[in-house]
Amino acid sequence: MTLSTSATDRSALPTAFIGLAATLFCAVFGGVYEIFSHGVWSGFMVYAFLFPLVLEAIPFCWLALRGKALPHPWALNLHHAGTATLTVGSIFEGVLAIYGTTNSLTLVYWIAGAALLAGGLVALLLTRKSA
Amino acid sequence: MKQSRFLILYGLVLVLFTLYVALDTFVITRVYTVSDATPQAATSAVLPTTAPAIVTATSYSDANITITLTEYREHDTTIYVADVTLTSPELLKTALAEDSFGRNISQKTSEMAEANGAILAINGDYYGSRERGYVVRNGALYRSSASSDTEALAIMADGSFRVVQEGVVAAEALVEDGAMHVFSFGPALLVDGEIAVTTRDEVGKAMEDNPRTAIGVYEPGHYVLLVADGRTRQSDGLTLYDLAEFMQGLGVTTAYNLDGGGSSSMVFMGEIINNPTTNGRKITERSVSDIVYIGY
Repeated sequence: MTLSTSATDRSALPTAFIGLAATLFCAVFGGVYEIFSHGVWSGFMVYAFLFPLVLEAIPFCWLALRGKALPHPWALNLHHAGTATLTVGSIFEGVLAIYGTTNSLTLVYWIAGAALLAGGLVALLLTRKSA
Repeated sequence: MKQSRFLILYGLVLVLFTLYVALDTFVITRVYTVSDATPQAATSAVLPTTAPAIVTATSYSDANITITLTEYREHDTTIYVADVTLTSPELLKTALAEDSFGRNISQKTSEMAEANGAILAINGDYYGSRERGYVVRNGALYRSSASSDTEALAIMADGSFRVVQEGVVAAEALVEDGAMHVFSFGPALLVDGEIAVTTRDEVGKAMEDNPRTAIGVYEPGHYVLLVADGRTRQSDGLTLYDLAEFMQGLGVTTAYNLDGGGSSSMVFMGEIINNPTTNGRKITERSVSDIVYIGY
């Protein structure tokens, strides 16, 4: 287990870039989808980009700028899986809302996403303690 | 490597789950539990007269039913208005696609109109695209779960219209009070002759002109069934406020917005009257869950 605090550690940079790319993709996808939705508006679609922005791009940019190393891979994996679940869930919820339909199964995205993020946080704390 | 394998595997699970939810929403047919409520006779007690009906391209008239179709042009939109007078409210009927209540069960308005011998038909509330919202048809309660922030329209046995807030008035109570049909879409456009929407009220936050379907009542036995074109070069469509204003101009007392957009369709004597379109490029009927129709 390595938890480097070297000021030159930029290992978080690639993850930050992926987060930024995901943010950009979601923003463009949501914008284009809204253009062709005959004015039917869904906050889930429009604001889906916030998940990769707030959960990936900003924190990993911060890690890279502060020169901090990436957390334990399992904490990272759970965190990434949670972000992906919430992002996909938000976009899919937007698609359903714009079509004018609902499906209670979409609740799974929010529960699973939150659970994975919480799991990531717990893994981060546990691995920090053991480091 | 193990970690990236986890992400790949999880990504696959996420894609498969999303695919399943999409199929469940749009494709997989599911019949819901039907209520124990005994449906009133789908066929009316009012029988067709022996004298032949007088039918023209824009009208129908017999001893029990008078329908006059009028085309209006407002807000750069063609609006089709059917003025309907009935000797009995029983002649205002509804039908479900494939005569079944469930999800992803749909038929075109024209197909359901033909199957039920409808003289005039419009699309209903497309109840099948949602999991909640009152559904009562021909006196039978099919779904009693309330859809939050939704106004329901009840067509009572005496032919009057009643607008209620779902969750405030239970579907069971409406049936006990004599509701024959309850629709869950909305919002109400006119209540007691007053416009009940604002310029900011829109279905699904659609702050634009769109094709619309609506139903209104002047008095029990005298109704208006309306469909407006939209999304085409010829017709922009109407906002809900435009629609409410138009209905008010007709003198309607209570009016209610039904499913619009690509669902909006009106069929008269087997012919599609309006220009139904989902994307504005192709004029074609969309399959829907249910219709409102006039017939025996």
